[in-house]
Amino acid sequence: MASALIPAQPKSKQLRACLLCSIVQTPSDFRRNGCPNCEEILQIRNSGERVTSCTTTSFEGIIAVVDPERSWVAKWQRTSKYVRGMYATRVIGRVPEEVEAELESRGIKYRTRDGMMQD
Amino acid sequence: MSDVDQPAPFYDDDSDDDLPILGADLPPKRSHYDDEEEEEEEDDEEDEEEEEETHGRARKKAKRRHKRTPLNPYLDTEALVSDDEGDEDEDEEEINDGFIEHANDDFGDSGGGRHMASLNRKLDEDMDEQDLERIAEDIRNRNRPTAARYTGDMNQIPQRLLMPSVHDANLWQVRVKVGKERDIVFSLMRKSIDVEFSAKPLSILSAFQRDSLPGIIYVEARSSQHVLAATNGLIGVFVSRGATLVPIEEMASLLQIKKIEQTVTPGNWVRIRRGKHQNDLAQVVDVTDNGEDVGLKFIPRIDMTPRDESAVDGKKRKKGAVGAAAVRPTQRFFNYEEVVKVYGRKAVAKRNQVYVFQNDTYRDGFIEKDFKISALILDDVNPTLDEITQFTRGQDGMGEDANTVDLSVIAESSRKAAIAVLQPGDHVEVFEGEQSGMHGVVQEVSQDIVTISAIGIDIEGQKMDLPARSVRKRFKPGDHVKVMTGQNADETGLVVAVSENIVTFLSDMSMQEVSVFSKDLREAAEVGAGTNIVGSYELHDLVQLDQQTVGVIFKTERDSFRVMDQNGQTRLVKPQQISMRRDSNRAIAVDSEGHEIRIHDNMKEVDGENRTGRVLHIHQSYFAFLHNREIVANGGVFITRTRSLVSVAPKSNANKLAGVDTTKQNPNLVTPTGGMVGSGAMGRGPRDRLIGVIVSVVKGGNKGLVGTIKDMNGQMARVELNANNKIITIDRTNLKRRLQDGRLVKLDDFIPNGRGPPGFPPTANPYAAAPGGGGSTPRQNIGRTPNPYALGDARTPGWNASSRTPNPYANNDGGRTPGNAWNPSSKTPNPYSSGASDPWSASSRTPNPYAGTGGGWGGTTPGRPSFGGATPGRAGANPGWGGATPGRSAAQANGGWGGSTPGRQPAWGNETPARTTTGGWGASAATNGWQSPAPWGAQSAPTPAAAPTPGFTSAATPADTPYYATPFASAQTPYDATAQTPAFMGNPSANDDNDNVEYDAPDDWLVQPALNHLTDGSHTAQLFINVVVTGTMITNYRDGALERKTGHVISVLNPSQHNISTVEATATVVFDDHTGDPGMTVPVKYLRPIVPMDGYTYSQAVAMDGRRKGSVLRIRDFNEKKCSVSTLQEVYDEVPTLILATLTSA
Repeated sequence: MASALIPAQPKSKQLRACLLCSIVQTPSDFRRNGCPNCEEILQIRNSGERVTSCTTTSFEGIIAVVDPERSWVAKWQRTSKYVRGMYATRVIGRVPEEVEAELESRGIKYRTRDGMMQD
Repeated sequence: MSDVDQPAPFYDDDSDDDLPILGADLPPKRSHYDDEEEEEEEDDEEDEEEEEETHGRARKKAKRRHKRTPLNPYLDTEALVSDDEGDEDEDEEEINDGFIEHANDDFGDSGGGRHMASLNRKLDEDMDEQDLERIAEDIRNRNRPTAARYTGDMNQIPQRLLMPSVHDANLWQVRVKVGKERDIVFSLMRKSIDVEFSAKPLSILSAFQRDSLPGIIYVEARSSQHVLAATNGLIGVFVSRGATLVPIEEMASLLQIKKIEQTVTPGNWVRIRRGKHQNDLAQVVDVTDNGEDVGLKFIPRIDMTPRDESAVDGKKRKKGAVGAAAVRPTQRFFNYEEVVKVYGRKAVAKRNQVYVFQNDTYRDGFIEKDFKISALILDDVNPTLDEITQFTRGQDGMGEDANTVDLSVIAESSRKAAIAVLQPGDHVEVFEGEQSGMHGVVQEVSQDIVTISAIGIDIEGQKMDLPARSVRKRFKPGDHVKVMTGQNADETGLVVAVSENIVTFLSDMSMQEVSVFSKDLREAAEVGAGTNIVGSYELHDLVQLDQQTVGVIFKTERDSFRVMDQNGQTRLVKPQQISMRRDSNRAIAVDSEGHEIRIHDNMKEVDGENRTGRVLHIHQSYFAFLHNREIVANGGVFITRTRSLVSVAPKSNANKLAGVDTTKQNPNLVTPTGGMVGSGAMGRGPRDRLIGVIVSVVKGGNKGLVGTIKDMNGQMARVELNANNKIITIDRTNLKRRLQDGRLVKLDDFIPNGRGPPGFPPTANPYAAAPGGGGSTPRQNIGRTPNPYALGDARTPGWNASSRTPNPYANNDGGRTPGNAWNPSSKTPNPYSSGASDPWSASSRTPNPYAGTGGGWGGTTPGRPSFGGATPGRAGANPGWGGATPGRSAAQANGGWGGSTPGRQPAWGNETPARTTTGGWGASAATNGWQSPAPWGAQSAPTPAAAPTPGFTSAATPADTPYYATPFASAQTPYDATAQTPAFMGNPSANDDNDNVEYDAPDDWLVQPALNHLTDGSHTAQLFINVVVTGTMITNYRDGALERKTGHVISVLNPSQHNISTVEATATVVFDDHTGDPGMTVPVKYLRPIVPMDGYTYSQAVAMDGRRKGSVLRIRDFNEKKCSVSTLQEVYDEVPTLILATLTSA
């Protein structure tokens, strides 16, 4: 099963969460490997600037998704198709506008992960 | 390109439900896919084809790598074609190549994608015939793990449809150490990855933590066992608290929790969480964009008396900083002149309008500093008016035109608080806005909107929504209210006045008027009783404040008390300042007239203010704390000297005697009354006889340990253990007395030597003195129960009539403890006579002969006193064996001691039938005087076996300790009470003071055929019967030299077997002390078996009688009456102890 890198130091304030898929990684992992779920659209890899704009430190709650396919928590968080790894329950912030536009062009509804969306 | 407009969902939503459609539309889907990518790419290419050189190269690389990977087997040939370099022209022909690439779409788009649209259209036609479904499945399977393309999975499903169902795994709440939640969630993740392929993979699906739920993590798993298995061993998890199932309806909300955003806007009041300015009020000046840093302005705390010189120089040393922090400087506005005076001109730099001092900026006397928002307290700031005025004063004082403090902010915050306390059912009035003046009852509170049902003539019951801030709680005089928050919290009272939002009420407790904000009040029917208790202290408790000071709580507040101490001073104390609660229930004092004062008496002052009150407490017999509800001050509590009090109620004459009856205060002076006084006046009973006894614990956790009894309390004993110096409390039945030789006997069975004798005054037996009365010669009258103590009036002769002290022995059944010789007040001090088992003594008019004779074992058996009973003179003549007694010699032939007293005969007669029931020896009993004296038997053990034990006990050293008689007295007694079968006491061996043998074995016991296998000398069993020599003194066999010697029988010569009846049977005995080694021939009639006793467990014995007669048994559990035994065949049985003869193995 595909698995994201698990940050070694959970205490670190340096952890960042992806604004799109809410996965939590260290900034260096984001930079080195990109986002394991949305690299295709966010293009984080090798770009410190993209790391800053597409991920954030302002997130709350950590979810260890061990079995994304079968986990209800992952389903609820809409991460069940993503890799195994650490996710944030809430991520404050929005992806950059161009990413939003891209998502829209693909017909994908962008959902913020700040828990504010209700449907 | 034309396909771009196709809707996305087909490929966006890859769920199983869509599978058929997906399969059917797969080829088009692929082309869509391509088209879209292509479009993207085209843009790219168009715009930045040149610039994106590297990017393009990377893609090429990817493609190349891709092409080298093993290709789809079912399109083998096409795969080969794709080996060509990604030349666009060639791609034109490579129809299937594009398809393959999609099948391995690991790397997203490919360089040749642009052309695939047209190619795939062709492919569509070709594929129609193919098993599309199979292909779709295939592709899907291979595509799944990639996740490279962002598709916004499940985005289309509304959240509410994601609610958990019963098919989902459960969430389990696990308690963890606060602050460790995140670590543990991470640990769980790592652990599950680590053990994924091990023998025991974790079965959890997920785990999460929320910042707003400290100390809790949630684990998703099918069962709590999985959760516990996963969390077990992780540091910080409270595994012992288990995992709690989260109800399914609460699962979603756990993930939906969101903290109320704390927005900080300039002008807000905040407090600083930590540091030198901890809890100082500060005002927000500006906020950074990300909302993380806040610029604050607050009153500085500059140390104006720096101790460290270097600090003056502006070069702060760490030490200096620490020292400065130790004593917090007071809040003061920055004053340039003063600072310069202390720190020097160089320390302060002036830039424009601001001063810079020690890297901090000061403007207008305030310090301006940036703080992280996490370092601030945003809630419950509650700036006090003092703080606000200080802020304002500072600004005014500086004369600067700074922005004035916005008091509206404070008003706002207090109003917010007011909204928060609104609850449905509250009476509110509208104090601003259009509806001003209207009032009604709150129906509903929703955020800032309250719905009220109006009260009024026209608008009765009308519902209207109002902003919560424009209503306030409404009270009217007469309402009974309770304070919900603040200093007066929980106080209740009646409203007496209402003025705007301030309500004045009369407290139920203090009868004082209290004014509070209406927002802090609620209507309540209850009277504030609960507030009387704070911590473990209660209103009107007498409490110790310090060594010298006590006080009475006269008012309880939320978390503190108001206390009046003995000096009449009141103070506010916290519960933790109170060292203990005092009890003055027993305190006694006298009033001005010399009457006793007691707690709760109504007293009146004779001088001073003439206050009256009820006595709450008395302190040191001098101060009295009184309480009077009508006195307002100090909650009605006041203190006065007891000497200045007089009782309100007239005192009865009884109490008016000369002051306090001091005797009541001295328990020693209390004369013992007949009954149980039931008060402390009764002194302790005599020291328990068991105190100081060395015992072994035979049951329970401390089994085997040896200790000393320190105290007895009813059934419980406090035992100081030798092993660990602990004192344990243990039931006395779990204890056994430990004799010096290590043997264990029952606690009550044995009276230590040291105790008995001194207590025996050499007085005559009272029964002797009063013959005929109280059954003093019982056997003459009542053969079966000769024990005088068995008679009601004689049961407790030794007791002090006036004493009902809890002598444990006295508590026993009267019959059981005739030997209460230790009782100093006993009227039957003679142990022998008091050992009621001895009827002989009863007839004796003489002092105990044994006291004088010193003939050691004279006292050893109850039977022996009969000697004494016969003639005192004999004791002198022949210590021990008064062979001179005519009666005895007459009876000598058949051991007829009984002959000495004619009166005894009837008793025997009575006994005989009983004896016959015991079996074999009935016959011999007829002629055997030893058995006849069975009046003892009348005291009667239930089985013959019962009594021997005491006999044994004493047999050990009878000669040395004549007083061993005493134990007999008591030892026998238990049997007396329950005994059914008489006779054992009368057995000759007892009389012969061979106490080892209590078994009424016939003289020829050893030659019984049943024992042949042990006595025939063949030694097949390798077992020998233990015997003791007895009775030799009477016949002077070998001058009695062998008397009481023990040994074991090697062989028995039974002449009767050989029809030689003239020669008596003899046995070859090896004595334990090696007398006459290697063995002596002893007539069988002098040998008696040694019956088992305590400690013989697991040793072997042979049954001399009963159904197991002759069989060798192993003693499994010793009991004085019946031993449980097992045969060699491991058959378990119970046999009377007395029919067993112990064996020695070779």
